[in-house]
Amino acid sequence: MSIQLLISGISLGAVYALVAVGFAVVFSVMKFSNFAHGGMISACAYAAFYFQRAFTPPPPIYITILFSAAFGVLLSLVIDTIAYRRLRTKQSPNIYYFLASITMSILIVNFLTIFYGKNLYAFPPIFSSTTFHIGSIRFSSMDTLILLISLGILAILVFFIDKTRVGLAIRSVAINPQVSKLMGINPDVTIMTVFAIAGALAGISGVLLAMKLSVYPTLGSQMMIKGFVASVIGGLGSLSGAIIAAIFLGIFEIFLTFYLGSLSTPIVLFGAMLVFLAVRPSGIAGRFAQEKV
Amino acid sequence: MTAYQLSLVMLACISVITVSGVFTMTSLAGMFSLGQAAYMSICAYLTFVLARYLDWPIWFTAILGLLASGLVAFIISLPALKLRRDYFALLSVGFGEMVGAIVILLGKWTNAAVGFSKIPKVNGLVWIVLGITVLIVFMVRNLKYSRFGRMAIALKTDEIAARSFGINVYRLKVKIYVIASIIAGVGGICFGLRNRVIAPDSFDWSLSAEMQILLFFGGTNSLSGSAVSAASLKVLPELLKGVKLFGMELQDFKTIIYCVLIILIINFRTKGLMGEQEFSLAPIKKLAKKLNRQHKKEIAK
Repeated sequence: MSIQLLISGISLGAVYALVAVGFAVVFSVMKFSNFAHGGMISACAYAAFYFQRAFTPPPPIYITILFSAAFGVLLSLVIDTIAYRRLRTKQSPNIYYFLASITMSILIVNFLTIFYGKNLYAFPPIFSSTTFHIGSIRFSSMDTLILLISLGILAILVFFIDKTRVGLAIRSVAINPQVSKLMGINPDVTIMTVFAIAGALAGISGVLLAMKLSVYPTLGSQMMIKGFVASVIGGLGSLSGAIIAAIFLGIFEIFLTFYLGSLSTPIVLFGAMLVFLAVRPSGIAGRFAQEKV
Repeated sequence: MTAYQLSLVMLACISVITVSGVFTMTSLAGMFSLGQAAYMSICAYLTFVLARYLDWPIWFTAILGLLASGLVAFIISLPALKLRRDYFALLSVGFGEMVGAIVILLGKWTNAAVGFSKIPKVNGLVWIVLGITVLIVFMVRNLKYSRFGRMAIALKTDEIAARSFGINVYRLKVKIYVIASIIAGVGGICFGLRNRVIAPDSFDWSLSAEMQILLFFGGTNSLSGSAVSAASLKVLPELLKGVKLFGMELQDFKTIIYCVLIILIINFRTKGLMGEQEFSLAPIKKLAKKLNRQHKKEIAK
């Protein structure tokens, strides 16, 4: 039984990791927590849902995922243009970014609620049977697919950030935008790249969450809180820390829900987070989180 | 005035109370919290549930509720305020979720998600609420101009510089957080008395976010500006009731209108509508003096 729980915990954690990394990648460069990420996830889930329904027979799932990722990139760039660009040119304090991102998130959720209602839409099933067995352990096909996709995407992302020239540019802008400008890096383009990456991640996690749960306006905001928790515990701005923390969070949550019930889970989770941050305020990785004097 | 207009006045007052609570925290000390609605919830639930089950008078349980929300704020703030501002904002979201979960968990007394509706009726409520609002705004104004307020503004502008001037930053933050939470509690009690029903859903993080939006709209550094924006933006959707545009009820678009307004404000007038200015009586006094002088001249002639 506990192996079963462990596996579904890891699968949940993998989705949280996608969300958390979307946060962390924006945080590492812009130094603010992009709350609009939750709204983007919901919007992408709706886009994917209507895309999937628009064709008969429905397109294969990887096409939907690609479409949703593209939609996420577009949406993310639009949000960047209308909410953050002027703040950036004016070099406003962080708190305004924070407010702008919360506003964008609420805006998207309300937009979806008004035009599509609060109803839950179920994503059409992709597998003929929902579970399969290996030995005596039962695997949920959906969870396994989600786990594989998330891990694949995360691996690609880590490779991209660590090994390519664009990734190097992102890392240097994260450390110091002014100096990286002197090194011939265009910070504006780099920041747009970062938002595009976050948008693609939001698109992918939107589809995966829609398949796992269902499509409704606050889907993203709920996940956003979990992703945010994971990225903070991992050390804001650190990708590997966020991934590890997200997987732990998923496992922790599944075990808590199993033993305590879903009602007391947020209480224990909050308490654990409080204790953890009191003991280690900079998170698991704790590199970027240090404030400079 | 009709009952509907009275309830609108109360709505505006409650909004002013809660926003001045957020003002103490965000504008004076620069802390950004998304959990203030949770303190409204704690205080309102304690007040009305105790009044119902122990048959204590409501003013007494209200005091207990306020003390309790102050105490909870104190306990939460001890570890939380040692953290960075981002983490603090996150913790406040988590805290809001936790309070909602506790309310549902204690469903035997709080009636869980359905909402607690056994709230006594108070006569002449609108005058009480108006009085409380004036009192709270006056208090926060005094706080802003006191030594304490100046310390807080120094802390907001530059934490390290404030520390080097001998300000105990941590203690100051804890104090301000407790004050802000108690003010939020007052707002919660008024909210309960006006609506006569409280549910965990009505105190979720979007309410806290709305408070921040109202504050920033009016001007982060202007108490009068944010109070005016809190009252007017809160009542605005009610005036849109029944207005139709392109076959859609404009009232449904309430939150979208808020959001578009705040995005415009952030982009084009970052400091908020009023900026640093306060509404003051000075120009009116000047005018009165001038008129008085003219009047005297005329008499002398």
